[in-house]
Amino acid sequence: MEKEFSYVILDSGRAVVNGRSLEHEQTGNAMLAELYRAHIGDWPKFFKMDTLSKAGFVASELLFKETGETRCGQDEFTAHRAVVLFGTTASLCADTNYQETISDRDNYYPSPALFVYTLPNIVTGEIAIRGHFRGETSFYVVERPDAAQMAFHIACAFDDDVTDSVLAGWVDSRRNDDFQTFFTLVERGALEGLEDRIRTIMNNLNI
Amino acid sequence: MEEMILKLKQEIIEVLNLEDVQPDDINNDAPLFGEGLGLDSIDALELIVLMEKNYGIKLQDPAKGKEIFKSVNVMADYIQKNRTK
Repeated sequence: MEKEFSYVILDSGRAVVNGRSLEHEQTGNAMLAELYRAHIGDWPKFFKMDTLSKAGFVASELLFKETGETRCGQDEFTAHRAVVLFGTTASLCADTNYQETISDRDNYYPSPALFVYTLPNIVTGEIAIRGHFRGETSFYVVERPDAAQMAFHIACAFDDDVTDSVLAGWVDSRRNDDFQTFFTLVERGALEGLEDRIRTIMNNLNI
Repeated sequence: MEEMILKLKQEIIEVLNLEDVQPDDINNDAPLFGEGLGLDSIDALELIVLMEKNYGIKLQDPAKGKEIFKSVNVMADYIQKNRTK
């Protein structure tokens, strides 16, 4: 039986939670900061994150707020949550920002704070740390969005007989201020129709 | 020295992306790590880069940072005594 499912869509000029648009005046990274201040506000580390992690972090927090999880990971259910994300450009945006700090021989100051984000799976860690999730965390770098492939890997996360839910979705950032994000929560036993739901939302994301 | 401390606080806020922190929020004698600003090990590395980039101070022994980054006052004092630019 198909269960009601919640989702969040964020891109450079749009924030949508279960079909409702959230108010914002800014776009790009400034929009993420605006949403953080309006709806989250208690995790200053947000400002140190790269665009990929900021987009993933804000999307996950908006989703948990929608599903009524004010503080995740405090009970056994959310502690057994996995985080499974997908994207095409991996950490390209952070890689480019970091490269700029080492491209000039006369101004060669590699930034440690930028370097730590030069792996795409850092976003999964940021979310898991915040939520105290102790399940599997994965970031699949894929050639193109593929709902069947995404649904397959999300389903695989339940094979361990421990995972109760999966925070799943798409997060991609080619450049600063340019990102596409779709997050949803999938519970054990609610996989029916998942591929179609993912396909419908992803078509809406204009990737 | 006061001017130097204010400039240093502004630089710290900028390089560590302490978005909602103002220079006045940083107590000159408060520890930068642990409590206080809640900085972490990556922030310590950024402060080492800041000292080299802005003041020409190359810390040969990163462990020394623990002493130098005790507070803004201690850091400013160290910079003033060791700066090459």
